[in-house]
Amino acid sequence: MSDKNKTAAGDFIMGVILDVFGVYLIISSLQMKIFKSFFDGPGFFPLILGIIFIVLGIMMTVTGVKTGGVTALQLSLKIEKIKAYFKNDEVIRVFILSGLMIVYIFGLVGKIDFTLATFLYLTATMFYLRSTKWWAILIISALAAILTSLVFKYAFKIPLP
Amino acid sequence: MANTFFQQVGYFWSAALIAASPTRLVVVALATILGIIVGAIPGLTATMALALLINITYTMELGSAVAFLLGVYVGAVMGGSYSAVMINIPGTPSSAATALDGFPLARRGEGGRAIATAVISSFFGSTFSIILLMFTTPFIYKIALRFGQWEYFLLAVFGIMICGNLSTDSTPIKGWIVGFLGFFTAMIGMDPVYAYPRYTFGSSNLMAGISLIPALIGVFGISEILSVLKEKVPYKIEGNIGKILPNKDIMKQIGHTCIRSGLIGAGIGAVPGAGEDIASWVSYDVAKRHNKHPETFGKGSYEGVASSETANNACVGGAMIPLLTLAVPGSPPSAMFLAAIWLHGIKPGPMLGFEHPDFLYLTSLTLFTATFFMLIFGLALVKPMVALLKINRKILMPIIVPLTVIGAYAGNVNVFDIYVMFVFGILGYILRQQHYSMAPLVLGIILGPSADIGFRQALMQGQGSIVPLLGRPVGIILSVVILFTIITGIRNSRRPVIIPEAEAAKE
Repeated sequence: MSDKNKTAAGDFIMGVILDVFGVYLIISSLQMKIFKSFFDGPGFFPLILGIIFIVLGIMMTVTGVKTGGVTALQLSLKIEKIKAYFKNDEVIRVFILSGLMIVYIFGLVGKIDFTLATFLYLTATMFYLRSTKWWAILIISALAAILTSLVFKYAFKIPLP
Repeated sequence: MANTFFQQVGYFWSAALIAASPTRLVVVALATILGIIVGAIPGLTATMALALLINITYTMELGSAVAFLLGVYVGAVMGGSYSAVMINIPGTPSSAATALDGFPLARRGEGGRAIATAVISSFFGSTFSIILLMFTTPFIYKIALRFGQWEYFLLAVFGIMICGNLSTDSTPIKGWIVGFLGFFTAMIGMDPVYAYPRYTFGSSNLMAGISLIPALIGVFGISEILSVLKEKVPYKIEGNIGKILPNKDIMKQIGHTCIRSGLIGAGIGAVPGAGEDIASWVSYDVAKRHNKHPETFGKGSYEGVASSETANNACVGGAMIPLLTLAVPGSPPSAMFLAAIWLHGIKPGPMLGFEHPDFLYLTSLTLFTATFFMLIFGLALVKPMVALLKINRKILMPIIVPLTVIGAYAGNVNVFDIYVMFVFGILGYILRQQHYSMAPLVLGIILGPSADIGFRQALMQGQGSIVPLLGRPVGIILSVVILFTIITGIRNSRRPVIIPEAEAAKE
C-alpha cells in the first residue's frame, strides 16, 4: 500500500476514533458532579473537548473518505495484506524492540537490581540488532549498565528505580 | 523612570555576578560541549538532549540548573549541523535545511568551512535573539499583567491553533487534534478547582495527574529511538573536510542573510510551540527567494547554510520570550526548560518580573555565555566531532533507553512515571508514523490547566455569559486571531502541504 493510501486509511480510522472518544467525553462529563454551577464544574471542560473532538473527528473522517481511505482500509484488511504487514522488516523490528522495552520496563525495572536489569536489556537488544561482535556486546552492556548506575547514583545523587 | 532604570541595572548586575561565577562558567562550558555532542548524533534532538539530561539538574541549585540546561539547548541546536554537513543526515530536525547546502559543500571538500559557517551563523543568530529577549521581555511583562481569565484561556487555545498550523507538514487539523489530546492529558487527575477526580479510573497514581516530564521523555525519547532503530540506514561520512575557518568572501556573502534570518528565527521562536525546525525552513526559503543566484541553493551555497543555522539558533532566545512572560514555551526544547525551572520553584509569567526580577537577565546572560562557548568549542571540535559521527547507532540508541527510564523516574521517584513515559512513547511513535507533530501535544499538556481554569472562571465571573469578553481588547484581538487561524487552517487542510525538501533531507 502506498504512503498516500496508508495516510488516507489512517485519517479515516483516526476520525472514527475521535468521534467515539468525543461521545465518551461528553457522556462522562455529564455524569460528573455539579458543585455551584455546571460552568465551573469539573465536567464543563471535558464536555467542550468532547464537542471539539467530534467536530475534528468528522473533519478527519470526511478527509479520509474523500482521499480514498475507506477503499484503502478495506484493501489493508485483506488477509494477504495483513500477513504482508507483519512480515515487513521494519514492523517486525518495531514490535520486537517495543517488546524488549516492555520486558525491561514492566518486568525488570523495580523488581530486580537496576544495574542487572539494564545489563539484561542492553545485551538482549544489542544481540537482536546485531550491533557488534558477541563479546563486545557483553562488555559494552556491562560497562554501560554499571557506569549509568554509578554516575547517576553517586555523582548526581539521583535515586534509581 | 530613572529609578526603574537603575533598578534594572541592579538586577542585571546581580544576575551577571551569578552567571559569571567560575562554577557557572564551568557548568555552561561542559553543558555546551555535551549539547554539541548530543545534537551532532543523528536521532538525538535538542529536545531529547534536554529530556535525557534534565534529571541531572534535580540536585543542582537554580543558577547551575539554568546554566546547564541552556548550555545543552544552545549546543544541541547547533550540533545538528555537523552531521547535516558531513553525512547528509541532520543531527536534529532543525538542521535539515542545513544539509541541503552543507552536504554538497562537504562533497566538494569544503566540509570544514561549511561547519564553521554554521557555527558562526548560529553564534550570530543566538546573540541577536538574546538582545531581543532582554529588551522586549519587560514590555511584554507589562502587557501580560493585564491578562485576565479570558486572555489566559484564549492564549492557550491560540497556542494550540497556531502550533497545530505551523508544526505539521501535513494538514493543520492533525496538529489541532494532537494539541487537544494534550489538553485532555492535562485534565487527567484531580480537578484543580474542586479536587474532583477526572478520568482516574480509581487509580491512585492517576489521581496525581500525568507528570509533564515523563510524558515529554516518552514522546521525544522513546518514539525517536524506535523511529531510528526501525530503519537500517548505513551512512557514509565524507573524509576530507578541508580548511575550517571561512574566508572574508564567505563572511561578506553571509552577512545580510544572518541579519534577516536572525529576525525570522527570533520571531518564529516567539510563536508558541513553533520551534527551530520551522524557523530554519522558513528562513531558508526566504533567503533563497531573495538571493541574486537562487539556483546555487541546494548545490552548496554558504548563504543556504547560514540562513538555516542563524534562524534555528535565533529561535532559542525567541522561544524564551513567551516562556518567561506568559509561561508558554516557544519551542519543544524550551518546554523542557520550563518543566525544569518549575521544579526549581520558578513560575514564569507576568509576575516573574516582580518575584524574580533578575531571572530574565540571568537567563539572557547565561544564554550568551553558552553562545560564546558554542562558538569556541564549535570551531575547536570540528575534527573530533567528525570522528564521533562514526559511532554505531545500534549501540548508542539502546543505551539511551535506561537514561530515559532514570529521567522519568527521578522527578517523583515513582515507577508509575516510567510506565507513563513508555505509553506516551508508543503513542508518540504511532502518531508520528501518521504525520502528527508532537509539539502541539506538549503545548497542550502545558497549557491545558490554564485553559481549563481560565475558561471556567471567566464564565463564572460573567455568570455564564461571554459578553464580558467584548470589553477586553486583548481578548478580542486573540479571538479574532484564533478565528483567522482556524479559517486559514481549514482552508490549508483541503490542500495538504508537504515540504518535499524537508522529507528528502530527513530521508
